[in-house]
Amino acid sequence: MLELILQALFSGVLQGGSYALIALGLALVFGTMKVINLAHGELVLLAAYIAYTVESSLGVNPVFAIPLALLIVCAAAVLVYFLVDLIRQDRELNSLLLTYGIAIILTNAIQLIWSADIRSTGSAWFQEPVVIGPLYSMRSELVFFVVSLALMTGLWWWLSRSWYGRAVRAVSSQRDAAKLMGVNPRKTELVSFIVASILASFAGVALFSYGVIQPSYGHVLTVKAFIITVLAGMGSIPGVLVGALLLGVTEALTVTLASSALQELAGMCLFLLVLFVMPNGLFGAAGRRG
Amino acid sequence: MLEVDNIRAGYGAINVLWDVSLSAAAGQMTTIIGPNGAGKTTLLRSIMGLLPLTQGDIRLHGRSIRGTAPWDMSGLGVAMIPEGRMIFKDMTIEENLLMGAFPKQHRAAARQKCEQAYAMFPCLQERWNLLAGMLSGGESQMLAMARGLMSDPELLIIDEPSLGLAPVVVNELFGVLGRLKAEGRTIILVEQNTQKAVGVADQVHLMQSGKIALSQPAAEVSLEHLHDLYFAH
Repeated sequence: MLELILQALFSGVLQGGSYALIALGLALVFGTMKVINLAHGELVLLAAYIAYTVESSLGVNPVFAIPLALLIVCAAAVLVYFLVDLIRQDRELNSLLLTYGIAIILTNAIQLIWSADIRSTGSAWFQEPVVIGPLYSMRSELVFFVVSLALMTGLWWWLSRSWYGRAVRAVSSQRDAAKLMGVNPRKTELVSFIVASILASFAGVALFSYGVIQPSYGHVLTVKAFIITVLAGMGSIPGVLVGALLLGVTEALTVTLASSALQELAGMCLFLLVLFVMPNGLFGAAGRRG
Repeated sequence: MLEVDNIRAGYGAINVLWDVSLSAAAGQMTTIIGPNGAGKTTLLRSIMGLLPLTQGDIRLHGRSIRGTAPWDMSGLGVAMIPEGRMIFKDMTIEENLLMGAFPKQHRAAARQKCEQAYAMFPCLQERWNLLAGMLSGGESQMLAMARGLMSDPELLIIDEPSLGLAPVVVNELFGVLGRLKAEGRTIILVEQNTQKAVGVADQVHLMQSGKIALSQPAAEVSLEHLHDLYFAH
């Protein structure tokens, strides 16, 4: 029993890496633009399907799909940005409708192109088991967990050390003051969209490499990312990582101890529980914006 | 240096500034005083391009800057220290300062400017890595001032710096304003503290109900006359 629980914790942590990438993208765009991009999960899924196409048509490892996924997903994200940018009134509310509509269109487009069948990787190299002590994982899980950590470190560096990254945080913190400092907020909004889609591309390829994908999965991913962002308390990278690991572990434990049918319900219960006990999220108390 | 020529501006259908004209001479401190709701902050926001003009023109060194985006103003040598400080609370003190040097032409000198800022405001140096949200009101104002100076502006626009500060901090603040003036900077200051504002000013403008009610050199201003006008409304 203990081994089972340890194994579930381990798998949950590995899964949390990709969740964190997805949630960080959502949080970044929300920070600069105050827009919750409900099509974010579909962008991730798009990258996953590109990985599937590259693997099945060229017969290569799905990681080689990353450049193509980056290109297409970034282009799609830029398109979403310009559509959201067209909204003139009540952007925070109207963008929910708009991005939800884009999400539905993307889901159906994915279904049209790739059909509703469930897909998973055929790469033997990726499915090779890796055993660390009593713990077991697929090679793809470990590889992409390391990739996620590297990307998060890169993102942290960019946000705290680069001129443009700091500008993104400044716009999230005080929009008018950022303008007075010489920052054009529309540029930072576009940049945050692009950075979010870079993270989404890697996450999508990761999800395909160790799991199964189907057209309706994008919506599930958006909800997961939203849960994590709220858990973290908006705008804290370490918070998002902890929230993502928490969600991954909760889901893995639910699947191990109860049933995989309850996986999404468990995430929602965690969400409600944390909000009930800590309404500002796990890391939100100090950083609330007035 | 800066000329505001007969401008009107406001928020949507509500017009706030009615045909406002004033000018700020190089190397001088121009002070705008007036009661709440007189349009002082609106005037500054219009100068910085945060609000569009519906009439009139604003000229810097004789060239129109009407329609210039706020993010292009620091390239023209104009910086504003906004009302309510507007510091980036989720960023450290040093990151706040560095944001003040965001435009490309200022980045190379940013480190050196940080050192100058720390020399001027020692309270910031000890806590350079602290989140700015943890600072007191007075320290936040000092940080906002230091951040505004990072681009070494020719024209510094300061909006209600003493708002909500303890008297001893207000004295300190006016000490800093005096030093900035002594450095020969051109400053436009909006203040509620009439007596102190007139004390440091070269030129005084009184705003009321979106209009300039009085413009006088500070030496000629009689505080009593000013107070009569102030409360006449």
